[in-house]
Parts: sequence; C-alpha cells; structure tokens
Amino acid sequence: MKVEATEIDGRKVYSVRAFSSGVASWLARLPTVWVEGEVTELRRQDRWASVFFTLKDPENGACLSAQMQRGRFDALDLGLVEGERVHVFGRPELYEQRGELRLKVLTIERYGLGAHLAALERLKQKLAAEGLFDSARKRPLPRFPRLIGLVTGNDAAAKRDVLTQIAQRFPPANVLVAETYVQGPRAPVAIVTAIGDLCRRSVDVIVLARGGGSLEDLQPFSDERVVRAVAGCAVPVVSAVGHEQDTPLCDLAADIRASTPTAAARLVVPDAAELRRSLERSRDGLHRGAARAVERHAQRLAATHERLRRAPLLALERRRGRLDTAHARLAALGPRATLERGYAIVRRGDDVVRAPQQVSRGERIDVLVADGGFEATVE
Amino acid sequence: MSEPTFEDAQRELDAIVERLERGDANIDELTKLWERGEELYRLCVTKLDTVRGRIEELARTTD
Repeated sequence: MKVEATEIDGRKVYSVRAFSSGVASWLARLPTVWVEGEVTELRRQDRWASVFFTLKDPENGACLSAQMQRGRFDALDLGLVEGERVHVFGRPELYEQRGELRLKVLTIERYGLGAHLAALERLKQKLAAEGLFDSARKRPLPRFPRLIGLVTGNDAAAKRDVLTQIAQRFPPANVLVAETYVQGPRAPVAIVTAIGDLCRRSVDVIVLARGGGSLEDLQPFSDERVVRAVAGCAVPVVSAVGHEQDTPLCDLAADIRASTPTAAARLVVPDAAELRRSLERSRDGLHRGAARAVERHAQRLAATHERLRRAPLLALERRRGRLDTAHARLAALGPRATLERGYAIVRRGDDVVRAPQQVSRGERIDVLVADGGFEATVE
Repeated sequence: MSEPTFEDAQRELDAIVERLERGDANIDELTKLWERGEELYRLCVTKLDTVRGRIEELARTTD
C-alpha cells in the first residue's frame, strides 16, 4: 500500500492515519511466530468479537497485548486461568486507532503450569505441612473490638468500603489505619511491617483489605513473609483480599476470610441496631423479671398469711376431734351399756360388792342402775 | 469501681435478667438488682448512641 505524504514548506509530512497505516503494512510482512509467556488480564465477554489478554514474560515482566477471535478462543476450550504459561501462535499487528502494537493470535497451547503458579502451589504445600492453615489455629474474633487495625493500600475503594461499613454498623468502633503498599516488590515487607506496627499499638483485631486485581497484583498476599506474619499475628486477622474467586495464601492463614472488604467490616464489629434491640429485650426482661419476682414473693406471703389465719381453728378442731375419740373409747369401756340392759352395780362405801360375804345384815349399800342410784339396807 | 466496658455491662445486665427471671432473689436484693439493671441498660444505650469512634491513620513506616 502506498503511503502518501504531503509536502509542506519543503518538508514531507504524514498524517497520523497515513503513518500508522504505513507501519501496519510493514508489520504485516513479518512472519507468524510462536511466543511463550504467562497469560494475565484475560478479558472475555460473550458480546465481544475478540478475546483480549496480556502475555507476560516471567523473567523481566515485559508485557505484550494479545487479541484473538472469540470463536477461535472458545473453540480451544482451554479454560485458561491467570498466570498460566502458554505458547501463542500469531503475528504482530498495529492497532491503528491507538497506535499500539499487539499480537494477533491464531492459536494457543498450554505450556505446563505457569512457573509462578507452580511456585505458589509448592509454597502452599509447604506451609500447609507446617500447619499454618490448620483450622485448630483459627481464633474467634473479639465481640467488641476496642481498636481495629486496618491494613490497606491508598487505593480508596477497599479502605473506604471497610471504614464506611464499620462506621455505619457500629459507630463507637475505633480504627487505626495502616496505609501501605499492597502491590509491587516493596509490598510484602511493607505489609509485614504494618501488621507489626498495629500489634504494637494494641489493636485487638486486624483487617487486611485489598480490592481485586490480577494474580501478580495480589502476589504480595501470597508472599511467604506475609503469610507467616498473618499466621503468627498476636491478634486475630480477617483477610479480605481480591475477589471471591481469588485465594491468596494469606486468606488460608487468616483466622477468617471475608469475600469483600465490606464483608470483613461486618465480621469485625457487631451490628449496633441489633445490639440496641437486644438491649431493649434485656430491659423488658428486667422489668418482667422484677415484676415476676415481686409477684412470686407476694403470692408466697399471701399463702403464708392464709395458713396463719386458719391455724387456731385448725388446732381447735384437732383437739376437739381427739376429745371425741377419747370420749367414745371411754363410753365403750364404761359400765353404762351393761346397766342399760338391767344390771346394777352394788357398792359398799367405795368398794364394789362382788360376794355376799362382803356385807352383813343391816349394813347400808349403794345401788347404781342405768338412770341413777339409790340406797338400800341389807336383810 | 471504674466504668465497665459495653461488653461487660451487657453481660452483667443479661445475668441480672436471668437471675430475676429465676425468681430466687430475696426482696432486698431485688430492688438492688433492678436498679443495677437499669443503670447498666442506660450505660449501654448511652455508649451505643453517643460514643463515636475515632479513625486514625498510622504514620506510614515504609518509604
């Protein structure tokens, strides 16, 4: 293709379009080649005609944009994940609209696990073998933290999400924020330092919060130093790093993992509104309990009083009963029934006369019959 | 006695309610328990409604 330049003041000048188009046609003459790299920033959507990703050189981090027809990409059905090492077959082209170089990909072959992922897996196995991720190590979070430590980047979103949610949910909460690097080569040491600093300031729980990012972005949170610092932290740690599907190793070492920074905030502070309701219930209970206790005392008193009132009558009745019994027994044993049948008792003085020899002629004796007595003289 | 923390106050309040509901407190105790319960309730509610937490930035230590 011929690229036309314009002659202006004796100078050959190309329009941007002409320039790009010229470079593009020159690039198009380059051969199709295989390129090895790690797949990152994979972006695929059903409504897009192409799939985009970045090929990254694992040695020096150099990046190359890549584009592939979505139909071809889907047909390969590779199920690629971030960080996987691949061989890509394609040729360079210029995205003229932006003047950017990219690789037009014809096919992709998986080339083992990305070295990065493999290293991560080895580290995971090693730390797991040491027991760093054991569920027995997990500590409960304080119900009412006095001071919450927040380790976060200066990117506003994660920090704002945590702080906003804490303030909404439990206004009395105190938070000490340690802003630090959350990605890049300086991040691991910075995060470890932040955790240590917060512990020295007597926080009683720590939240690690970082928004989503690519696998490399989140890499510091899988760094051995960071993972060990989280596991060995003096106070419980809540990890809210990346998105739901990411599992940086610090998530495994943390005492609890939150799916988002907002969820982390909900874990570290109680809900003030719910507490308020619970307090009202306690207060109702206090009133009801006190009323019930008074009522119970009053009933007991009333019952005692009733017994006291009835006591003399009861005692009297009991005595009366005993008297009647005694009388009945007396009657049964006494002579009255015998006298009623016509017998009489003869007494001389105080002695009952049982034999004729007990009396002599002319003596006076007393005779007792059923309805009374009379005197008589012995003949 | 120094002021209890919210957590301690709430726990004591719940214990008092439980005690009262069991109904084995004697009359003299009852008044004291009730007054203490009310005091704890007010303390908790005040803390919840009026205390505002501080958000402080730790000086950046790595640069």
